[in-house]
Amino acid sequence: MVQRSMAMRNILITALVMLPLVSGAENPDASQIVRDAVNHWRGVASYSEMTMVIHRPDWERAMSMQAWTKGDDKSLVRVIEPKKDRGNGTLTDGNSMWTFSPKVNRVIKIPSSLMGQSWMGSDFSNKDVAKADDIIDQYDHSLLSVSEEDELTIYEIQSVPHEEAAVVWGREVLRIREDHVVLNHSFYDQDGELVKSLESLEIGEMGGRTVAMRQRMGEVDAPDEWTEIRIDAVDYDVDIRDNLFTLSNLRNPRE
Amino acid sequence: MNTLRVLLMLAWRNLWRNHRRTFIMLAAISVGVWAMIFMTALTQGMVNEMVKDGVSALPGHVQVHHPNYRDDPNINNLIPMADTELSAKFAAAGFEQWASRIKVPAVITSERESRGVTLLGIDPNRERDLTFVDYEDIDGRFLEDEADKGVVIGRKLAETLDTDVGKRIVIMSQDPKNDIADRGFRVVGLFGANMQSLEETYVFAGKQTIQKLLSVGDHVTELVAMGDDYRNVEPVYEKVVKLVDDSVVVNRWFELDSYLGTMLRVMDGFVLIWVVVIFLALSFGLVNTLVMAVFERVREIGLMLALGMKPSSILGQIIIESMLLLVIGLAIGNVLAVASIAPLNSGIDISIVAEGMEMMGSASVLYPQLRMEDVILANVVVLILGFFASLSPAWRASRFQPIEAITRVD
Repeated sequence: MVQRSMAMRNILITALVMLPLVSGAENPDASQIVRDAVNHWRGVASYSEMTMVIHRPDWERAMSMQAWTKGDDKSLVRVIEPKKDRGNGTLTDGNSMWTFSPKVNRVIKIPSSLMGQSWMGSDFSNKDVAKADDIIDQYDHSLLSVSEEDELTIYEIQSVPHEEAAVVWGREVLRIREDHVVLNHSFYDQDGELVKSLESLEIGEMGGRTVAMRQRMGEVDAPDEWTEIRIDAVDYDVDIRDNLFTLSNLRNPRE
Repeated sequence: MNTLRVLLMLAWRNLWRNHRRTFIMLAAISVGVWAMIFMTALTQGMVNEMVKDGVSALPGHVQVHHPNYRDDPNINNLIPMADTELSAKFAAAGFEQWASRIKVPAVITSERESRGVTLLGIDPNRERDLTFVDYEDIDGRFLEDEADKGVVIGRKLAETLDTDVGKRIVIMSQDPKNDIADRGFRVVGLFGANMQSLEETYVFAGKQTIQKLLSVGDHVTELVAMGDDYRNVEPVYEKVVKLVDDSVVVNRWFELDSYLGTMLRVMDGFVLIWVVVIFLALSFGLVNTLVMAVFERVREIGLMLALGMKPSSILGQIIIESMLLLVIGLAIGNVLAVASIAPLNSGIDISIVAEGMEMMGSASVLYPQLRMEDVILANVVVLILGFFASLSPAWRASRFQPIEAITRVD
């Protein structure tokens, strides 16, 4: 057994070492690919309308939301439908996160103890939402393979979190198409077992860019529990004022 | 003096006139005394374990905190004085044991689970004799120094989180600016404790590492000092108070864990109540025996009075008889108790009821504790109460009218 896993590792290492040679002249830099993908998906600033579908074996619910993002770390999400959740909002700025619910009329800063909890009942955690771009600088990226599909190159990138990064995963594997669309983002535990994955089910043109229009997050252990994000409309490079991302705007929407 | 000798001899001989009755009474007293001492030893053993566990579950004997820390154990309530300066003072003061640490609530997350825990940033060398963790009984290794970058968690917690030695987990807490402080740590060791709740609650990391994570510079939340006996913490308390200024509060362990403190006091009271209750049951037998002894000897007592013996001597004679009975009973009872406790000194395994005991904060091995104070208490209580119980029959005997007594026909 040990022998075999050693052999496997050797093959893997060889493959890793050989890769840059194989991919030839372009010599793509893995972390650059990841960075481009994140920037592509997010833009300098964006406004989008989306629907989040939470699916469980015995029920399913949909929420439609508006979202604004600016730069690397500012975002605001506000629920429009269903009516009883209308006005619920989430603001992130850097590593901090606040929520507002009109029912209790109070802005709550999400304490560290709740960062691992689910965001609005979905399969995303608060941390997934607040720290979506940690993937750029908290990991070591390496190119696993390059393949081709429908005349588009697909890079498979393995991202291993730094020793002290606040990430529990053993490694994450991203499949990124050459037009910067993330096809698949898988999270493996430290034994190398797949725990959950984020998959792009539909890819299309929107707001002048090719983006994943339907993404599904689900755990491997619970195949009929998942959350889908469907992008209904997106506008990139819109002019968004900084004061949109403030606590007072979270409480009293100005636009 | 001579009278006393005569009385003593009379009492002694009277005692053995109806030796069957005396033996039965002796048996009753011995069993009663045995029960007093044995049960007391068990209770004391339990309380002792609870307090020792409680004290080693981190309060120590005396602790120093920011005045608000105990109400709100968050990272803002740091001890204002710098740690190095304080530590130097404590080191110079010559405590039995002392340590400074950071103790804050945190969340630990693995790939599959997350749990709320108490994060302890410690200096492992200082804590060796302070904590409930046995450094030798660690899967993997314990922390090596205060700059150690690993964490040590409980076996039970590791099971819940589905993690193991060598794997990474994430610890999240808050820094003084209310921002999230989080970091990945590698689990370097798993500790075991005699209570599951300890294994689930505490996470140990290096003090300096945690200070850096929480960006609190050279500060800690807690200082702890130990003396040599948990029943006598005043000397340590006074020494600590002298070392710190009034920007902090100093507390003794029974103030920190008032449940334990109250428990100890209640148990000390309970021992007395237990002894008295058993004695009350015994005293019926004792009084009955004496009444019978007097009743049988009415004519004899009358004769002694008629011959010129003073009523006080009759009184003394009966009381001495009762005291002899009690002393012999006590002696046998004490020997029985010591003899039955000695083989149990290695502990009684009560793991069948471990869960219930744990709710009370006690471990699943019970070490009976025979304390001299308790033995003396039981003996003295029995003698004093026995004296009062035998007063009434003795008094009645001493008040007989000689003529009436001699001529009484049964």
